[in-house]
Amino acid sequence: MKFDIAFMFTALEAALKYTPITLILAIVPLLIGIILGTFVAVGRLFKIKILGRLLQAFVVTVKGIPLVLQIIIINFAVIQPVDYFSEKFNWSFASKDIDRIYIVLTALSIFSIVNMSEAIRGALTAVDKGQYEAGYSVGLTRTQTLKRIILPQAFPVAVPMLCNNFIGLIKGSSLAFILSVTDLMNGALITATSNYKYLETYIAAAIVYWIICITIEKASFILERCLNVKGRVI
Amino acid sequence: MGKLFDFKLIYEYLPAILARIHITLFIVLVATIVGILLGIFIALARIHKIPVINQLTIIYISFIRGTPIIVQLFIVYYALPAILICIGIDINRWDKLNFVLITYALNCAAFMAEIIRASITSVPIGQTEAAYSIGMTKWQAFYRIIAPQAIITCLPSVGTNIVGLLQDTSLAFTLGVIDMMGQAQVIGARTLHTIEGYIGATIIFIVLSFLLEKVFSLIEKKVTFEKIVGDGR
Repeated sequence: MKFDIAFMFTALEAALKYTPITLILAIVPLLIGIILGTFVAVGRLFKIKILGRLLQAFVVTVKGIPLVLQIIIINFAVIQPVDYFSEKFNWSFASKDIDRIYIVLTALSIFSIVNMSEAIRGALTAVDKGQYEAGYSVGLTRTQTLKRIILPQAFPVAVPMLCNNFIGLIKGSSLAFILSVTDLMNGALITATSNYKYLETYIAAAIVYWIICITIEKASFILERCLNVKGRVI
Repeated sequence: MGKLFDFKLIYEYLPAILARIHITLFIVLVATIVGILLGIFIALARIHKIPVINQLTIIYISFIRGTPIIVQLFIVYYALPAILICIGIDINRWDKLNFVLITYALNCAAFMAEIIRASITSVPIGQTEAAYSIGMTKWQAFYRIIAPQAIITCLPSVGTNIVGLLQDTSLAFTLGVIDMMGQAQVIGARTLHTIEGYIGATIIFIVLSFLLEKVFSLIEKKVTFEKIVGDGR
């Protein structure tokens, strides 16, 4: 077996063509994760009755499930009922009409919410307790304290973790191939179906993933520095 | 397909999936041990800035951290036989589990190296100087002064990493290794009750991660307790 560099570039081209799909698969869950993850973290931090407990159970459970299983289970949990009912009631709509990318997005979002909530909770607890008390003492409500005092301080602390999670999402999105969503990896693999040069395609995919992750890491570094500088001025 | 979802089937399939747990645990165990050993070497090479090796490991760690493990798995699966055949070793008939073990060990080593390096450098330099000043050799200083302190710092991250590794083993089935995931897939293909098998595997994974986390927090508690006593405070 010889390594075919020319073919690797063909695969690289295909991988680059489908990179936006991978980015969508990572960025949408990232945003959903940051927003909902903050709510989960706050709910757990303030130990809201029942809800706090429920959220904790949710986080601990979902953290224990491998991402690949989450994707598979959500896939079947959607497909089987849809097919079952469409057969029963003669719908024109069947599971094959569902774009699998939404299923992967759902699974990645759940994965992201859980991881983000842990990161944000860590950052929230890193803020000194006196800050909460000071906020309350000047007559701010709990929401106001959070919004104006705590979250602005917690966010810079959370940035490295958020970027780590973003990299995790980029890597996790490669599992979309299980549902044959054409993302970066599958896009590259399609080129190899005719000649079985899988090694070249996987290396091409690896290079693209590598570049994306290094870029995020560097961006995280710069962002961190900017936020730190701003924090010092205040 | 009769029923949409049958809780009894989860219970029925669970023993068959549980019978494959040893493969998952074997992967985790081998990868952790090899990963920690290799990780220590890499970490030391990086701390002492040994030329060439230092640069190579930087690239290696960056690659492992920057690519999905599934890609690494397939690269090892396709590249290793191709490389070894050049030097006359034919491993095309190898058990696929070996490729999984190699990938996970290499993957684990990179993450462990970073953790170990961070925890060794987190020990204040004054500790090393103090050790030298009372006449300890380089090795003694590391073995008696630095390492015990570094181990305590790195324990939580190592724990998280091993739990992550456990979850990553769920990808071994893509190569055709019949671990818990593979078994769930086989059951699904045979009975068409796919989701029940996977839920069984999920339950086992949740319990395993939970147990691992508990074990590590216990070890952590014990070690930090000893540390306080050892300080004589």
